[in-house]
Amino acid sequence: MKAREVDRGRLNAIIQESRGEKWGLIPLLQKVQEEFGYVPPVAIEPIAEAFNLFPSQVQGVITFYAGFSLEPKGKYVVRVCRGTACHVRGSRSILRLMRKELGLEEGQTSEDYQFTLETVACLGACFLAPTMMVNQTYFGKLSPAKVTSVLDQYRKA
Amino acid sequence: MHPPDTQAHCFAEDSPGFGNGSLIDENSGKGTVALETITLTINDKVINCPSGISILQAARREGIKIPTLCDHPALESVGACRLCLVEDKGGRLMASCVTPASEGQVLKTDSPRVLAHRKNIVRLLLAEHPESCLVCNKGNRCDLRAIAASLGIGETNLYPMPHARTMEQANPFLVRDLTKCVLCGKCIRADHELVVVGAIDYNRRGFLSRPETVHERPLEESTCAFCGTCVSICPTGALSVKNAHFVGTPEKEKSSVCGFCGVGCSLVLGSAAGRIVEVNPADEPSTVNGPTLCLRGHFAHDYLHSENRLTTPRVRKNGELEDISWNDAVSRVAERLLEIREKHGPQSIGFLGSSKCTNEENYLFQKMARAVFRTNNLDTSGMAPARAVLEEIKGLKRGRRSTAPLKDLEKTDLLFVMGVDPSHSSPVLAYHLKRASRKGIPLVVVDPREIELARFATCRLQVRPATDALLLNGIAALLREGVNGRRYGDGTTSLRGFAEHEKQLASLDLNEVCRLSGVGEEALERTAKLLRGKRPIFVVGRGVFHQKACRDTMKALSNLSLLTGDTGSGRSWLYAPTYENNEAGAWDMGVSPDTLPGGKPLGAKAFRSHWERAWDVMLSPDPGLNVIRMIREAEKGNLKALYVMGENPVRALPQPEYVTRALENLEFLVVQDILDNETSRVADVILPGAAFSEKMGSFTNMEGRIQRFEAAVPPPGQSKPDLEIINLLLKEMGQASLGGSVDKLRKEIAKLIPEYGDLPSSAGEAWVREAESEGTDPQEEPLFFPIPELKSPEHDDAFPFTVILRSFRAHLGSGTRTSRSERVEEKGWRGEVEMSARDCESLGIRDGDRIRVVSPHGAVEREVKIETGLSSGLVVVPRAFGDNDAMNLFPFKERKESNFTGWITCPARVERRAR
Ligand code: SF4
Ligand code: SF4
Ligand code: SF4
Ligand code: FES
Ligand code: FES
Repeated sequence: MKAREVDRGRLNAIIQESRGEKWGLIPLLQKVQEEFGYVPPVAIEPIAEAFNLFPSQVQGVITFYAGFSLEPKGKYVVRVCRGTACHVRGSRSILRLMRKELGLEEGQTSEDYQFTLETVACLGACFLAPTMMVNQTYFGKLSPAKVTSVLDQYRKA
Repeated sequence: MHPPDTQAHCFAEDSPGFGNGSLIDENSGKGTVALETITLTINDKVINCPSGISILQAARREGIKIPTLCDHPALESVGACRLCLVEDKGGRLMASCVTPASEGQVLKTDSPRVLAHRKNIVRLLLAEHPESCLVCNKGNRCDLRAIAASLGIGETNLYPMPHARTMEQANPFLVRDLTKCVLCGKCIRADHELVVVGAIDYNRRGFLSRPETVHERPLEESTCAFCGTCVSICPTGALSVKNAHFVGTPEKEKSSVCGFCGVGCSLVLGSAAGRIVEVNPADEPSTVNGPTLCLRGHFAHDYLHSENRLTTPRVRKNGELEDISWNDAVSRVAERLLEIREKHGPQSIGFLGSSKCTNEENYLFQKMARAVFRTNNLDTSGMAPARAVLEEIKGLKRGRRSTAPLKDLEKTDLLFVMGVDPSHSSPVLAYHLKRASRKGIPLVVVDPREIELARFATCRLQVRPATDALLLNGIAALLREGVNGRRYGDGTTSLRGFAEHEKQLASLDLNEVCRLSGVGEEALERTAKLLRGKRPIFVVGRGVFHQKACRDTMKALSNLSLLTGDTGSGRSWLYAPTYENNEAGAWDMGVSPDTLPGGKPLGAKAFRSHWERAWDVMLSPDPGLNVIRMIREAEKGNLKALYVMGENPVRALPQPEYVTRALENLEFLVVQDILDNETSRVADVILPGAAFSEKMGSFTNMEGRIQRFEAAVPPPGQSKPDLEIINLLLKEMGQASLGGSVDKLRKEIAKLIPEYGDLPSSAGEAWVREAESEGTDPQEEPLFFPIPELKSPEHDDAFPFTVILRSFRAHLGSGTRTSRSERVEEKGWRGEVEMSARDCESLGIRDGDRIRVVSPHGAVEREVKIETGLSSGLVVVPRAFGDNDAMNLFPFKERKESNFTGWITCPARVERRAR
């Protein structure tokens, strides 16, 4: 499988919906990211045009927020927490296991665009440490066994 | 016929174009309004200042220095660097650039706490900074280095964390070494707020954050116009000018005025060992350009040291040019010219003065022609003779010319821009227009091409060439119908010709207007709606003045302006930019066949006697030959001698081969210039003159601002300031008393041309004064002109395309000087011909193919570039490239003649060359 071709028609339709809306830039970027899994770089110019901004300004907003990505990501984005609480409870081994299981380094996406591996500084759920997220779902009190079973669940899906 | 895909775009009326209007105060750049006076204490000094300004501004007013890295008076303050910390009574630290001064504050700018914090900030900046000060291009101009030194910081004693980034220097203009960036954001704000290009913005976050182009591409692949404004404003070595050779740091700095376009930017020329090594904006709030410049002004002045400079007088002997002494050259010129006048009479000699030379030089040049040789054969040869433009304006009977700072464009209530692409021809004018649009001033842009400015327009009308007048009349007809029943004021309805004009408008076929102009009815309506109730300023360029139907367009513009209720005379309604640095001045000084200095008609006895008395001579009342007729008479053998000062007619005029032949046919051709060029190559005598940076003088810019300057470096080799050369000649002819020093001539000009009364005063700004007697003559009352009948533009099947000439930002005029800039040449712009995708497809032309554009008069061969925004049927040819061969396409004609095509569009066909 390859990264999806950007459906320009879909992209333009999303942009047109928000054209000229006040404070509409971030919600629009969120919609685009939701639709495509990332903000395709080709979206920068038309978005800038729709909001009367310079393309460089739009890029500035995208790259400022960790939540937006200009690169395609996997269907499942795995974020392993490397915050202090999780570190103390062994998140380093969780990450090591995850690397091995997925065959990915941090920041990488698998060739079939199924998985992206990332780390974050704290998921705000320290009481469940060590933690991770897959897309919008939290997983806590991780153990190697739990990690494998969670992954299997997504691999099948 | 053109396929009907010419588009008209019109955005919603409330869309202000790009950006949403950060308010920029005209003087300081800060959006502040003085309300009341407040009192505060800074460093134990009690001070008064208007409320609403920042603590930093208040301190500066009192001469109290606070170090800053991110603040600039022309930019919005953002408080990024925190160096400007001050401490208040309660021990609070605040950034003075973003904290308003308020009543009763008691502040210290250098308390021990402030100093400790400031030092820490600088140490942290330095820890991130590479240790390369000694070899840094910014050298002594680096603010970071100066501030560190003033705080006594040598070693930071911090763990160094330099950035790993590669230096960008593929382009020949500027070097970006972002390892040295302190994230002050000045470049970004200058790029957004001042030049309004938006090529760069902050990218990424935290330690990785840097000013970047979109997609992180090199500058040359971005929208960057290489104006260099960010380079001059950058406080560190992160952005610096690229020099091909080691040139050293400037030893001396001298203020001057840019020698390229009609904006006349104030510059500081840095020189070392007699060479100009650096050009920066003077950066004074009162100047036309503030902290900005453009590519030419900033980077193309390296032509001054081109190896093509003329440095010795030369004379043609047996067909070859040979060096000779000044004495011999001057006596040769005097002798030959006097001899020819003796033998063939005053009509046999012509004089081309210069839209690039100074007012003083042009004045003395025409005085020599008129008083010594008794001829009125006087003109300039730029492709934009101000004379022709002013003639058109005069015909409108709405005053001759008034003066207004470009800043005023940012204060009007609507801007209507037509036939000018200022982003390329006069960039600083474009900056003002774009800023006005960002402030929310509605902007209408009428141009057949999708010019940069159109992206900022509230309404943009992509009109077909040669249909401007009917488009304007269409708008007028819609304006007439009124919005909410509002009609015209008394001032309008009582004007001569109003009733007939009304009747004509009422019967105008709007469908036909739309069909012919290619502009949709909806766009027309929106434009009319936008105009209603406003007093637009019309900014009109050579896209109109060089049209064949210029007169119809100008009349339609005047009618439209009268309908909006602007019934005054005086040029306040019309802004016609000049294209060369002293186009306006050359005309004002009388370098014109039918007007005297001050623009007074030669035919009027009263004006002639004024000058006859002053110069103690009799003047011929017969108008002289203009440049076109001089060349033609030379070709016919009637004009025997021509004296060309600072012009390159072979390159600037249509049909260069014909012009060369005509000049070769002269008995005697004198060329006084700074560069070896197409015209000097056929000269009999070459007199090497001096560039603006090597002499003293004054230029008059498009605003009517008279700008004086002095030499920054000596003229190279044996070359001499042009005024000195004319003085030498006068002396040789026994007429030394006619000439004199710059100061003497300034006094003479001020005395004899009341509009130039400010010229000699050494202090303050000088402006061309409004003429006193204007507007009293009933013949000069504004009136409505009749509307010509609707006509389809002429069409010839053998030449189905329309060529439009365009300017390109790196070049000025015909490119004599700018093509000698090493940097511009190194960049290697090729001046591709632009065509629409549709036309290319139907002709089987691919992007990058070589094509030949053939008009009934000649051809150019170039690569083609497919331009998405371009309407089909158009072929856009840039000026100045390929020895300005675009002029091959135009016939050697003047306006009065049949088959005159204008100097902006012509019919053509396109042929593909073998791949
Ligand atoms: S490049 Fe220069 S002007 Fe721009 S942010 Fe960095 S230090 Fe400031
Ligand atoms: S050179 Fe001019 S256009 Fe380019 S980034 Fe700098 S300010 Fe912007
Ligand atoms: S060419 Fe014109 S806009 Fe550019 S720096 Fe010179 S005067 Fe200014
Ligand atoms: S440190 Fe992992 S969730 Fe807070
Ligand atoms: S000058 Fe005030 S924060 Fe930079």
